[in-house]
Amino acid sequence: MAAPTTRLNAWRRANASWWRTGPARWRTGASSPIALGVVAVVLATFGVWALRQADAVRDDPSARNTALTDGAATSEVKGAVADMIGKVFSYNYTDPARTRDAARAALTGDAVRQYEAIFGRVRAEAPEAKTVLSTRVTDSAVTSLRGDRAEVLVFADQRTTRTTDGTSTNAPAMLTVTAVRRGGHWRIAALDTFAGR
Amino acid sequence: MTDDTVQRTATVLLVLAALFAAWAGWSWYTAAHDDAHAYSRTRDTVLQAGEQAVQNLNTLDYRDLGSGLKTWQDSTTSDLYEEITRGRAAFEEQVAKAKTITRARVLDGAVAELDQRSGKARVLVAVEITITPPEGDPVTKQSRLIGELTRTPAGWKLSDLGQAPTGTL
Repeated sequence: MAAPTTRLNAWRRANASWWRTGPARWRTGASSPIALGVVAVVLATFGVWALRQADAVRDDPSARNTALTDGAATSEVKGAVADMIGKVFSYNYTDPARTRDAARAALTGDAVRQYEAIFGRVRAEAPEAKTVLSTRVTDSAVTSLRGDRAEVLVFADQRTTRTTDGTSTNAPAMLTVTAVRRGGHWRIAALDTFAGR
Repeated sequence: MTDDTVQRTATVLLVLAALFAAWAGWSWYTAAHDDAHAYSRTRDTVLQAGEQAVQNLNTLDYRDLGSGLKTWQDSTTSDLYEEITRGRAAFEEQVAKAKTITRARVLDGAVAELDQRSGKARVLVAVEITITPPEGDPVTKQSRLIGELTRTPAGWKLSDLGQAPTGTL
């Protein structure tokens, strides 16, 4: 074990001598406490600036929107919205409770009022016309996804069948859905059908 | 304090400052080179290009067909570009005769798919189109469009555009 110890000591000696007796110019110049302090300040300033840059990059609205970048969350919200839209905008005059229950479970906040404005009349006229309305989401894409809040553009087809005269009509629909996640479940917080815009 | 102590303190501070700077620099580097972040930026670029192109292709004034159709060509690539170029003369004649002015407003848009490697994307765009005939009131209709974008050296351009299909229940 003698050899490594000797080598280490030799390194220490060499280092010490380099430190203490190094070239005179170097010693009085770069290694003076003032010079070291100046370099430290420069480095610290760079550090602070770099951290700010990093924060700016992370705070970029593009980066905060995780639509598509978070594939699993994007699919999840799309699936949940498609499911909810299909249920709340489908109606069978023989079973109105089903639609009502679906709406109660899916809608929250402004969406309740907006849904009434869109769907209230359909529901009021349905019993007389014996209407069966089925809505199916044909395509959707997430505009923004930030944590527990998402905006989804939805294309849907609505098929209305009046069982009194057997006529049925097909109507394309498009809407922007704002969804919020509460307790692990996505719910609809706002509906925009682009009417009167 | 001896000279030695001052020297040591300064050295320690320098080392700490250097470590801090290295860590901060690394943090900045990783944030700027984050794949997810680059993907987010591409997604937003694609959406902007898609919405603009959809608006362009739904805007045409019979009094200025030349520049209008030039914009159509500039917004498109591959198949869609070919289609517009091929049908341009006939279409120009048709619109000049009908004397219509068509304007579009994008209501909402979102990127449905984006493959950075192959440079392809699919966007959904909700658009409101207003057609003004030479006589009579303008007609406004809403349209559900699906566009396919392709990356070109001059940016993302539409390679396909059509109405969202009405599915059968």
